[in-house]
Amino acid sequence: MNRRAVIKNLALVVSSAVLLPSCLKNSGTPAIALKHLNINSDQEKLIGDICETIIPKTNTPGAKDLNLHLFVLKMLDDCYTKKDQLTIVKGLTEFDNVVQKKYNQSFSDLNIKDREAVLVEIEQNAKKAGGAKTPAGRNTKPQKTVDANPLFAFYWAIKQQTLFGYTTSQYFMTKEIVYELVPGRYNAHFPVKNLKQT
Amino acid sequence: MANLNIDSIKERTFDAIVIGSGMSGGWAAKELTGKGLKTLMLERGRDVKHVKDYPTTNLYPWEFPHHGVLPMDVQEANPIVNRCYAFGEDAAHFFVKDKEHPYVQEKPFDWIRGYQVGGKSLMWARQTQRWSDFDFEGPARDDFAVDWPIRYKDIDPWYSYVEKFAGISGNRDGIPELPDGEFLPAYPLNDVEAYFSNHIKTNYKNRYVISARCAHLSKPNQIHIDQGRTQCQSRTLCQRGCPFGGYFSANSSTVPWALRSGKLTLRPHSVVESIIYDDKLNKATGVRVVDTQTKETIEYYAKIIFVNAAALNTNLILLNSKSDRFPNGLGNDSGVLGKYVAFHNYSAHIGGEYDGFKDWTTDGRNPAGGGYIPRFRNVYKQETDFLRGYASGFSAYRFKQHNYDGVGASLKENTVKGNLGPWYVGSHMMGETIPKESNFVTLDNKLKDDWGVPLLKISVDYDDNDEKMKKDYIEQLTEMFTSAGFTNIKPSTNHQAPGLDIHEMGGARMGNDPKSSILNKWNQLHACKNVFVTDGACMTSTSCQNPSLTYMALTARAADYAVGEMQKGNI
Repeated sequence: MNRRAVIKNLALVVSSAVLLPSCLKNSGTPAIALKHLNINSDQEKLIGDICETIIPKTNTPGAKDLNLHLFVLKMLDDCYTKKDQLTIVKGLTEFDNVVQKKYNQSFSDLNIKDREAVLVEIEQNAKKAGGAKTPAGRNTKPQKTVDANPLFAFYWAIKQQTLFGYTTSQYFMTKEIVYELVPGRYNAHFPVKNLKQT
Repeated sequence: MANLNIDSIKERTFDAIVIGSGMSGGWAAKELTGKGLKTLMLERGRDVKHVKDYPTTNLYPWEFPHHGVLPMDVQEANPIVNRCYAFGEDAAHFFVKDKEHPYVQEKPFDWIRGYQVGGKSLMWARQTQRWSDFDFEGPARDDFAVDWPIRYKDIDPWYSYVEKFAGISGNRDGIPELPDGEFLPAYPLNDVEAYFSNHIKTNYKNRYVISARCAHLSKPNQIHIDQGRTQCQSRTLCQRGCPFGGYFSANSSTVPWALRSGKLTLRPHSVVESIIYDDKLNKATGVRVVDTQTKETIEYYAKIIFVNAAALNTNLILLNSKSDRFPNGLGNDSGVLGKYVAFHNYSAHIGGEYDGFKDWTTDGRNPAGGGYIPRFRNVYKQETDFLRGYASGFSAYRFKQHNYDGVGASLKENTVKGNLGPWYVGSHMMGETIPKESNFVTLDNKLKDDWGVPLLKISVDYDDNDEKMKKDYIEQLTEMFTSAGFTNIKPSTNHQAPGLDIHEMGGARMGNDPKSSILNKWNQLHACKNVFVTDGACMTSTSCQNPSLTYMALTARAADYAVGEMQKGNI
C-alpha cells in the first residue's frame, strides 16, 4: 500500500472512529497504526483518559466519544520531530511516575476530581516555569516546538492536540459552531450583536 | 519510410508553440489560438483540469488526515517549499517538492514552483495592480538597469483587455501611480481599514489606503460566465483550486478557453530541453522536448515560439539553447542573459491594535485580503537615501478569543464561549529591488536533472538599498500607525531568502539596445525574431506592484504583434 493510501485509510479510521467502541482492543498494541511512536495499549488508554479529562463527556460528546485520543496519537506520530517525540514519550513515563508517587495508583484509577487536579497542577507548574504558551484552539495551528521539560512537553502536546482535534472535529464544527465552507458573502461592516456562533 | 517520416514531422508541426501553461502561457495560448493559430502548449508537469483535479477543494477541516497540518516528515523533507505560506495539507500537491527538482543555490534562494498545467496561477495570491509611468520610467530616471522600451500608453489598452477577461475587482481610486482599470466591484474596506484610509488621506500628502485590487469575480460579467466561471463565494480557500472559478487561474480561464477553440494541443509531461535554432534559416524552428514519462526525446516545430516557462526556467531554457550562432544561449549576443535578476523585498511586517469600533466586526471572508497602500516613497522625486520604494498590504481583523486554561467541563464550554477580541491591524512590505549584474542565474556545468538538462545555479541576494528601504518601511509605517492611534505596535523583520516572495523577475530583460538587453519592445528576442518571452523573465525592473497582471498584458500584446508580423511575412 502506498503512503497516500495509508493516510487515506487512517483518515477513515479517525473520521469513522465515532462509530467504533473505544475499548475495541485490549492487546498490547494501540488501536491505530503508528509509524514512529512506540506506545503500548496501556499508554494509549492513559492518553485516552487524559483526553477525556481535558474534554469530558457532559450532555454533549466527550473526547472518547469522538475518539479524539486516536487523533491525538496520530498527530503525535506524524506532526512532531523525532526529538520532540522522544521528549513527549519520556514525559508520558514521567507522568505515570508522578501520579503513582502522589496517589499510589495509576491515573486511570483516579476519580475525576483527582484526575483534573493532576492535570491542573502540571499546567500551573508549566506556566510558572514559563516555557509553554496557552495551547492553540481552532484559531491557530498547533505550536511546533515543545517544552524542554518532558512532563510539560507531554502535557501540552496532549492538551493542545485534544483541543485542536476537538475544535476541528465534525461534531464541533457542525453542532457547536457552524463552519462555513462556502460563506458566499463578505460584510465589511457588521454589528457585533448580530454575530452568530461561528 | 520517407513518407512515414514526413507524416510524423507534419504531426509535430504547428503554427505556434507555447512553452509553459501558467499565468502568461495560458494567455499566449488563448491569444494565439484565438487568432486562428494551430498551437502546441508544452507543460513540464502533469495536467490539472479545472475542478476535476482539485481533490481537496470541498473538504472540511476534519476531512484532512491532520486537519490541515502537514506531517513533520513532509515538512522536514521540504525545508524550502515548506517556508511558503500556502504549502499546507490542503495544497501541498500543487507545489514542487524540494527533492523532485533540485537546483544549485550559490546564495540562499527559496525557489517556489508549481509544475502542472496552470503553474502557479493555481495557488497565487491574486493581487493585481497596474504599473504606471512612475515604474516604466524608473530605471531611466534613477539610472539603474536599462530604460524600459515601453511606456504606460503602450500597455494601457492591453491591461484593459486582460482585465476584462480575467475579472479584476477594485475601485477607481484616481491615483496616478496606481492607474485605474476595468474593474468589477471592489471588496470594501472594513471599519478600521476605512478609518485608517481616511486618516492617511487627511494627514498625509500622496499616501493612500485603498481596497486591494484582486483577480476575483465579485460580480461576474457575461464574458466570465462564458468561461464557465461564477461569482467568488468568499471561501478564501483559493490555493486548493476554486470549483466556482471565483478567481482567475489559467486552469479556470485561459487554458480551457484555448482548448475550446479546437486549435490547441496541450501536452503535459513535456520538459523543454532547448529551443532549436537553424543557423541557415536564421531563426528558431522548434523545440526539443523530453517526455518525462517515456524519457523519449521528441522535436516539435513551429513558426513562432512563446517562452512562458516561469521567469527562471525561461532563463534556463534560453541558456541551454546553444547553437553555432548562439554559443552562450539563444539570443544572448549581449551576454546579459541570466543577469539582472531581481525580486520583491518582503522582509518586514508590522502589527498593532486599535481600540475602537468595538460594536463592529466583519461577517464572511474577504477574498481581497483587505487594503493596499500604493508606493509613496520617491514617487515624484528622489527623497530618501535609497532608490525606489515599497507598497504595503494593510488589513484589520478581529476574532473570538477563548480561555483555554485548565481542563474539564469548563474548558469544554470555553471552546465555544469567548469574547470577540480587539481589532488587530497588520501590514507587510513589498519592496522594489534593483536589478544588478551580480544577481544572476546560470547553468551548472556538471549537475544535470533526470532529463539531461543542466541544473540552474542561482546567485541572488539583497543589497544595501534593500536594507535601507526596509528600515524606512518600519519607520514610516510605525509613524503612520502611531498617528492613527494604533497601540501595541510591533514591527518585525525577517531574513527570508529572495525567492520566497515568488516574484522573481528578469534575466532576459526588455530594452531598446540589443547590446544590453535580450528582448525588444515587443518581447521579441532582438537576435531571433520568431521567439517571444512574455513571462517574468522579460522584466527590466520590478516595480513594487504585483507583477502577474503585467505579464498577462505583455503576453496579449506580444501575441497580437507576433501574429501581425507572421501575416506580413516578417517572421
